[in-house]
Formats: sequence, C-alpha cells, structure tokens
Amino acid sequence: MAERLRAILPGLAVLALLLAGLEWAVEAGLIRRVLLPPPSVIGTTLWDLLASGEFIAPLLATLRLVFAGFAIGSVIGVVLGTAMGWWPAAFRLFEPLVELLRPIPKSALVPPLMLFLGIGDTMKITSVTLVVIFPVLLNTLQGVRGVDRVMLDAARTHGWGTAHTLWHLVLPAALPFILAGMRISLGLALVLAVLAEMLAGQGGLGFLILDMQRSFLIRQMYAWLVILALLGLVLNGVFVALERRALHWQNRNP
Amino acid sequence: MLLELDAVSKEFPTRGGPPARVMDRVSLDVRAGEFMAVLGPSGCGKSTLLQMAAGLLPVTSGTVRLAGRPVTAPPPEAVYVFQQYSRSLLPWRTVRDNVAFATEHRVGRKRARAAAEEPLAQVGLGGFGDHFPWQLSGGMQQRVAIARALAAEPAMLLMDEPFSAVDALTRLDLHALVLEICARRSLTVLLVTHDVEEAITLADRIAVLTPRPTTVAEVIEVGIDRPRDPVATRELPRFLELRHALLDRLMTRHG
Repeated sequence: MAERLRAILPGLAVLALLLAGLEWAVEAGLIRRVLLPPPSVIGTTLWDLLASGEFIAPLLATLRLVFAGFAIGSVIGVVLGTAMGWWPAAFRLFEPLVELLRPIPKSALVPPLMLFLGIGDTMKITSVTLVVIFPVLLNTLQGVRGVDRVMLDAARTHGWGTAHTLWHLVLPAALPFILAGMRISLGLALVLAVLAEMLAGQGGLGFLILDMQRSFLIRQMYAWLVILALLGLVLNGVFVALERRALHWQNRNP
Repeated sequence: MLLELDAVSKEFPTRGGPPARVMDRVSLDVRAGEFMAVLGPSGCGKSTLLQMAAGLLPVTSGTVRLAGRPVTAPPPEAVYVFQQYSRSLLPWRTVRDNVAFATEHRVGRKRARAAAEEPLAQVGLGGFGDHFPWQLSGGMQQRVAIARALAAEPAMLLMDEPFSAVDALTRLDLHALVLEICARRSLTVLLVTHDVEEAITLADRIAVLTPRPTTVAEVIEVGIDRPRDPVATRELPRFLELRHALLDRLMTRHG
C-alpha cells in the first residue's frame, strides 16, 4: 500500500501544482474570472453539489444510458464478432457492412437518429449502442480467429460439438480480446451518452453542462464537469478490476 | 484389426505450383491391444499421418478405418494426445476441469469432474486437481493431458511425439507411466516419434517411415517381453541390436 502510494505520488504532485498554478493565474488576473473561476471556488460548488445529493439524479440518468447502450452493444458485438470469426460465410456476409459503418463517427449519427427515434432515451441508448458495437465486434473477431488450433483440435478429438466448443472454449479463449474491446467501448459509451444528452437534453450530466454554460452558471458547469470526469475514472477503474479478476489465469508466473 | 490405413495419400496445396505430395499410399494396420510406434526423421509427415488417423485432417486419397468403419471425423473410440501439451490444455481451467473436458459434453460438468479423479490419480496427480496447468512443470502438464485422454475411456490413443518437449529424465518417468497404463488397461496405442529408444522401449511393433513423400519402409517386431522397465530394457541385447539397426537406417549419412 505504501509502495503504491509512492508510485502515484509524483503524478498527484503534478496535478496539485497545476491546480495551484490555475488558482494563482486567476487571482493574478491572467485568466478572466468569468471564464474560469479559481479551482477552490469550483471545489466549494462541487462539495455543495455532492453534499446536497443533488448530483445523484443526473448521474443516474447518464449512467442508465451508458449501461443500457454498453450492455446491448457488447452483446451484439460479441455475437456478431464470434459468428464472423467462426463461420467464413458469416464473415463474407457482414464484412462489407461492418467496414462501411465502422469509420463513420457515431456522433454524426445522432441527428438522423433523432429524426427516427425522437429525443427520448431510445435515441440516446441507440447512439451509445452503435458506438459500443464496433470495438467489441472487431476485437471479438480477432480473438476468435486467434484461438489456438491445438486447443480446437483437442475439443474435436474429444467429440465436442460446435455450441459447446464456442461457449466453453472459443469465448473464454477470446475473452482477453473481448474485454480489451469492451474497455475501449466503455469510454466511447460515456462520450456518446454525454453528447446525446447535449443535443437532445432533458437531463443527465451532458445536458446540465451545456445548460449551465448557456445560463452562464460557470462555476456549476465546471463542477458538473468534474463529476463527469470522476464518473469516467470510476467506470474505467471498476472495469479494469473486473477484467483482472476474469483473466486471473493470464497473470501467471512462468 | 482396430485401425487400418489403406493406401493413404496426402497432398497440400502450394502457392502457384502443383500440390505437394507429402504422403504416398501409406498402408498400416494396428491390431487391437497393440502398441505401435511410427518412427521417422523430422519433417517426414508423421504428425500428418496421425492426424489423418484421428479424423482431424482429411485424406487426399485412400481410406482410414477404425474398428471397420471409415474415419471421416474424429471417432469417439480414439483420442489424440498432442505434442504441445501447454497449448492443448485450457489455461483458465483447473487441472480437474481440464480432465473433465473429456466427458463434460456427454455427462455434464458435475459428473465429469467426479470422473476426473481416477485418471488423475493414475497419472500421479491425485492432489493437483485444484492447480492450474501453468502452475505445473512440463512433464506434469503432459500427465494432465494423458489423464484427460484416459478419462474419455478410449479404445485407442493416438500420441503425437508426446514426450519430445520434456527433459530426458522426465521422459523416462513418462515412459514408465505409459508402460504401466498400457499394462493396466486394454489400450491400443499408435505413437509417433523420432526417438528410436522411445519407440523400442514402448512399442510392440515399429513402422519406419521414409522421408517425403512418406511411405512405410518396413515394419519391425520389437520382441521384448513385458512388463518392461524403461531403464533395464535399454541394456538388453535385443534393444541394442534394434537401436543400432534403426539408427543406421534413419541417419542421413547413407544419403
């Protein structure tokens, strides 16, 4: 524990220096106070938000979008990626479609989605789902194709069927790739959730940040921004911990 | 006759050129209960031969029959033991669950786990069920792979240079284990190896292969009584005689 603390100490020091520098720059008049209040003032506002519990409802609204889209997108990505990695026919069938859709910045799809799905949760979850699918799909595809030939032959010589092989051998073997893809997608899911809330906002962190800016509540805007940053940090941390647990067999000593 | 290879040939496609014929009308019979070794120089397609016998690789022409039935897919009576034990075991599974691998798709995970204990004990890994493969030495990992094959209760084992990746002492231990298992169970074994001494120690008959395109040069009766001891057998006159003849034949000095 002490060692861990020592390891992150220099990074924290840089952070503290940066905040102190900003504080000084604002106080010295180098940065206009209306554009960036001193970090200490933002800190007080943030504390009020947290202490009052006011942050909970918007946070949950955004989290709901992230989780729903992440779950649906991950399932679609894993199922489609596994099919494409396992059956060459499925690959030939879907590869052109995937290659066409993949390079489109998914943020650009929010306006057309609004035409079809309105500005409610369906549209937002669909936006998140779309951005989640592709990293998961491509990583799953790569992972499934990379499963060791010898392992697959071991399953064949013992008479394993396709379904049993896919579920008990191919998916676990591809899991490191799948989880790496999901980790990328989780970050993107948060981006798209915030963006969709900004473009079609009724609530949530993204909506609030834009709303505060438009109402010129600059302190509050920054405070919500910090909450968003912390959310991203926590989501990634939780995911990495779960990933490490699921892949315990990878941290082997040679 | 348990396993019959009848004029089996194998060709692999090459880039741009005509297909490469790696095996040319190989015929081989393995009797029920017999231990047969296939001996050949490296790169002669021994593993290819064994994979075709196991139904893991299609033949280009000819037929493979197991217990009279043509082999087109991996048959339930024969189990393949791989040279690369560390790649054939599942690293996310415990040793017990790796052995349960053999039967879980037929009897369910729970019963397969229970059935894993006996073969594990037989290969001397009774207390290692909860270990992961990567916590074991190479020789122990290959024991797990053998236990897994035994758990399937096959009539036939197809062993692909299973002891070539372990050190010499471990190899002797594993020879002793295989001799003991064969004495206890009525198993038919087809073993592929490039190790002359291993072939003589373990086998009843040895089929000697030629370099590519592979054919069977001759089949030799070992004629050493069982039970055999992997150390003492090596000092028998018959062992030395066979060793001399086989090495002479396999070495490339004659061109």
